[in-house]
Amino acid sequence: MPDLAVKLNRLSLQNPILVASGTFGYAREMAAFVDFRAIGGIIPKTVTPAPRPGNPPPRTVETASGMLNSIGLDNDGFDQFMTDKLPYLISLGTSIIVNIAAKTNDEFRRMAERLNDAEGVAAVELNISCPNVSGGVDFGTDPSLAATVVGTVREVCRLPVIAKLTPNVTSVVPIARAVADAGCDAVSLVNTFQGMAINWKKQRPVLGNILGGLSGPAIKPLALRIVWQVAQQVQVPIIGVGGIQSIDDVMEFLIAGASAVQIGTANFYNPGIAGQLVSELEAALQLLNADSVTSIVGSLRTGS
Amino acid sequence: MSHSSAPCDSSASMPGMVACAARHVARVAGVRRMAADTWCAAIDAPDLASKITPGQFFMIRPAEGTDPLLGRPFALYDTLSDSNGNPTGVEFGFVKVGKLTSIMSDWRPGDRVSIWGPLGNGFPLPDCQHLICVAGGIGQTPFLGVIREALGQRSYGQPARQVPRKPESVTLCYGVRSEKWLAGLDDFALPGLDVRLATDDGSRGHHGYVTDLLRLQLQQNRPDTHVYCCGPEPMMAAVAKVCREAKVACWLSLETPMACGFGACFSCVTKVVEPDGSWDYRRTCVEGPVFAADRLLFHESV
Ligand SMILES: Cc1cc2nc3c(=O)[nH]c(=O)nc-3n(C[C@H](O)[C@H](O)[C@H](O)COP(=O)(O)OP(=O)(O)OC[C@H]3O[C@@H](n4cnc5c(N)ncnc54)[C@H](O)[C@@H]3O)c2cc1C
Ligand SMILES: Cc1cc2nc3c(=O)[nH]c(=O)nc-3n(C[C@H](O)[C@H](O)[C@H](O)COP(=O)(O)O)c2cc1C
Ligand code: FES
Repeated sequence: MPDLAVKLNRLSLQNPILVASGTFGYAREMAAFVDFRAIGGIIPKTVTPAPRPGNPPPRTVETASGMLNSIGLDNDGFDQFMTDKLPYLISLGTSIIVNIAAKTNDEFRRMAERLNDAEGVAAVELNISCPNVSGGVDFGTDPSLAATVVGTVREVCRLPVIAKLTPNVTSVVPIARAVADAGCDAVSLVNTFQGMAINWKKQRPVLGNILGGLSGPAIKPLALRIVWQVAQQVQVPIIGVGGIQSIDDVMEFLIAGASAVQIGTANFYNPGIAGQLVSELEAALQLLNADSVTSIVGSLRTGS
Repeated sequence: MSHSSAPCDSSASMPGMVACAARHVARVAGVRRMAADTWCAAIDAPDLASKITPGQFFMIRPAEGTDPLLGRPFALYDTLSDSNGNPTGVEFGFVKVGKLTSIMSDWRPGDRVSIWGPLGNGFPLPDCQHLICVAGGIGQTPFLGVIREALGQRSYGQPARQVPRKPESVTLCYGVRSEKWLAGLDDFALPGLDVRLATDDGSRGHHGYVTDLLRLQLQQNRPDTHVYCCGPEPMMAAVAKVCREAKVACWLSLETPMACGFGACFSCVTKVVEPDGSWDYRRTCVEGPVFAADRLLFHESV
């Protein structure tokens, strides 16, 4: 029986199937659909220092084989998260990776400090890539700013650190290299691609926020390309995210160089999918005569 | 999923917790025409049918493919049963307006669909002397179940719910643009139900808005009257205003666009008034779709 466990520097997961931030609520919402113990880990919705109402609706619209969203980090703030959401999450019997976003280094530091004391959290994922909020420093598009945030969090927090990067840059490679050098344990590639939808009859944008982030099967080839490019050039474990909805997609990301994957939009239209993919993983590995997930990571053969 | 066979308290669809939903790959049992551009689809789904209550909804999409990608929400029209009274499936009425509803109007018996539910809170169990349901357009669909339950003609949920107090009178005020869009009148021909119709063009019933019918009803000043409403947002805003002026309790079922239906995506938000008078965006799929009218802040343009 193949070994499903993966290790991303200091972060160990029982299997490589995670669920992506913002697509799994705070897990309570998914309780009727998913056996939490079976999956590799849960990344709850991004939490910010203070409560945020989020963007005005409409916040999502479907596009060809994908969707645009402009939720705008609607959340009740860090304090509420720690008291109301986290105790439930850490009772679920799987790895919990808390995802945080902030407008300044200092705010990142303060949240990371407090996560230090939280028993049962497996890692922290830094959302320095959300395309739907402005007003703060755009940490995710500048290698040195991105590195500073990672360095700050590493300084004050014992937990493994994951940097979640935006694809909305000319090349993700220099940013991935900078955060790796700053000591992050892994990078999540990628957040959503900025896009828009227009209702031409009304001559108006469809989304209340005008712009949104594209996700779903439509972005899979783009995300796969970025995972492969970063895997080629940077020594850092990668968590692949973008349009994954089948075991074939999972295998493609692993072979391209991801050590783990996150399931995002697919949770919305196939709410039991994450657990189902875990159960399908063994058979897929056996097809390759692989005895572990680790053995196929980055096993893509190019050239003749 | 093992969770789905647990007994289901259908009132437990509380915020952030879809208590007893499950996803099924199910088959279309049939599609019948109800009115212009309007159909009623039946899906074989015994588990869903045994749990769902009036005003709740489910999400539905084709079993395969990625376009359309997301599920679409539809309200329960009624449950179907076999000759022993065991629930076998659900029926829902729909208007063809876009991608999925166009596909649905061509569904054939046996087609495979993905369906998850029951979702949302549903209408409160009727607890009043006089119940008035106000429907605009396809917004009539939740009321067949509401009314049959109120009249004691059918029960829903697991364990089966009981209406605490059977209303003395149940009225349906139903408005559409024109006669050809009147749907399901045969289904609503129920003993004990008073049906009042309105059309914008006067082709059937009252010539004017359904709110006129409601005003007439409320002029009778019967104590202990409750109003349940579903329809286009401007119509619901008008109904809420009429009820506020008459000091009658009113509940509205919103038709906010949804991406997941179970609280995970935060796309279906509407402004809900807090006790201190401020507002917050709340998820319609888990805190609604039914809200007490005085808790909602309607879109500024309405
Ligand atoms: C709780 C609930 C219960 C419902 N019950 C019923 C019912 O019983 N019967 C029924 O007929 N309908 C019902 N609806 C509405 C129904 O879900 C929609 O009509 C359906 O989603 C249309 O799907 P479609 O693929 O055919 O249309 P689409 O192709 O998705 O488009 C339909 C229309 O909506 C617009 N639109 C699409 N997405 C958005 C968005 N995010 N924001 C703003 N506009 C958008 C499109 O421009 C188009 O005009 C219900 C909705 C809710 C929330
Ligand atoms: C509705 C929605 C909300 C999201 N919210 C967040 C969020 O709060 N934080 C975050 O880091 N990513 C968020 N994302 C991005 C996803 O985690 C993921 O990176 C992206 O959707 C690509 O994966 P997918 O195609 O599998 O969905 C969100 C995505 C969607 C569709
Ligand atoms: S539709 Fe996803 S949260 Fe309501």
